[in-house]
Amino acid sequence: MHTFSHTPHSGTFLATIDPRVKLLFSLALLLMVISGSGFLLPLTAAVLSLGCCFSSGIRLKTLALRFAEPLFIIFMVVLLKLFFTGHSPLFSVSTFGLEVTGYREGWQEGLLIAARIIGAVSVVNALACVTPFTGLMAAFSWLRLPQTFIDIVLFAWRYLFLIHDDARVIYAAQKNRLGYCDYRTGLRSFGTLAGTLVIKAFDSSRTITTAMEQRGYDGNMPMLKHKPFRIREVAVSLTFIFCLGLLWKI
Amino acid sequence: MVKLFLCITLLLVAAPAQAMHISEGILPLPWAVLWYALALPCVALGIHRLNALAKEDLSFKPLVGLMAAVVFIISCMPVPVPTAGTCSHPCGTGMAAILLGPWISSLIAAVALLLQALFLSHGGLSTWGANIFSMGVIGSIAGFFTFKGLRTMGVPLGLAAFFAGLQADWATYLATSVELASGIRGSEPFLPLLEKILLAFVPTQLPLGILEGAMTAGMVMLLYRKRPDILVKMRVLSAGEAAENG
Repeated sequence: MHTFSHTPHSGTFLATIDPRVKLLFSLALLLMVISGSGFLLPLTAAVLSLGCCFSSGIRLKTLALRFAEPLFIIFMVVLLKLFFTGHSPLFSVSTFGLEVTGYREGWQEGLLIAARIIGAVSVVNALACVTPFTGLMAAFSWLRLPQTFIDIVLFAWRYLFLIHDDARVIYAAQKNRLGYCDYRTGLRSFGTLAGTLVIKAFDSSRTITTAMEQRGYDGNMPMLKHKPFRIREVAVSLTFIFCLGLLWKI
Repeated sequence: MVKLFLCITLLLVAAPAQAMHISEGILPLPWAVLWYALALPCVALGIHRLNALAKEDLSFKPLVGLMAAVVFIISCMPVPVPTAGTCSHPCGTGMAAILLGPWISSLIAAVALLLQALFLSHGGLSTWGANIFSMGVIGSIAGFFTFKGLRTMGVPLGLAAFFAGLQADWATYLATSVELASGIRGSEPFLPLLEKILLAFVPTQLPLGILEGAMTAGMVMLLYRKRPDILVKMRVLSAGEAAENG
């Protein structure tokens, strides 16, 4: 869960930029990364974004954990591409009497996909690292995502950590009482855990609604109010996008 | 023979179940747009349905938010998969679909996937549409209609929930494989690549489906024993069926 709970340093320069500018910039960069056909742009985006992540004070371990799954996917995709795509042999290895051939075209395609994944994952991580959650949701709301959707995300975010604590306590209690000693018992315990969490969610939703109604809740969550765009931030972002657009062309 | 050897090698690689989320950046733009176009109407339907329910009862919005948090947490809980020698994570969409219907369940999956994409790098923003479509839409529809179909045929509650969870998981796995194969195939033919991807994820996804089924059945049976009022409110059971339980 600590992978999840990184809070950006509020004093850094990047944290003070309007979340809408950061969101639009990230989305534009993401579009360029996934639509490009070269290595230069994704790798440049990765370097810039990782720099932003570290400037926000994120720990290396947290970042490494966030990259674990994409790296595993890269590994699988490169293997699939290397051995199953292409015609020009790159290398050949004999193992257990079998000849395994890697192909040049597959290797290149695999590496291109790998670069795109690293670039895109870095961009999204940078956005999440340098933007407070409420600011990010306000920016999504400004982008005309339905208010109900934003409300549900805010509720989920607000109660995620509480439900996680409950889940951890129940899981630890089950584990201490040999609730996961074999597969069959583990399945039963996991079902009980899921059911208990659902019951807690139902009961909490009633309590939360009552408490919120007393404070004037009418079905809509209040959002952060945006200040007008600052010309300098927009101009710098556009310049960056233009320069990265040139790399996209290469 | 060589291809068979490679497939077996890939099978032996322990594949974590987060692999059911398509990673950020893996899909080319046209495919990403297509999956968005297919997923968003279903999420919109979920929002429409939730707004209608929230007009009758204001607590539905917090409830759906909390259910999204539960689905998120459940999909982060590590459970050992004996055949793969690794830990896997269920999706939780079958469970949400049984309780809240397929469209609100798609909305819940969209919320959970957005949080996972932003803060865990499981899935992504460019692949959000694809992941909503496979996990949220296909998973929920498969789970919901399996449950309803089996209940109509008189299958007991626990067994119907088990198969709903199982179907939700396997349908998600199948849809994800189709999305992945179409996205990364390049100039390669589609079907052979799909076969390889399906084979590569068999060691985790087959037992994971059983785990998901057992979890869903356990959850529904716990509610049936302890809190049948919740099942009645969610129209999973009629008041008469709940009364039989005492």
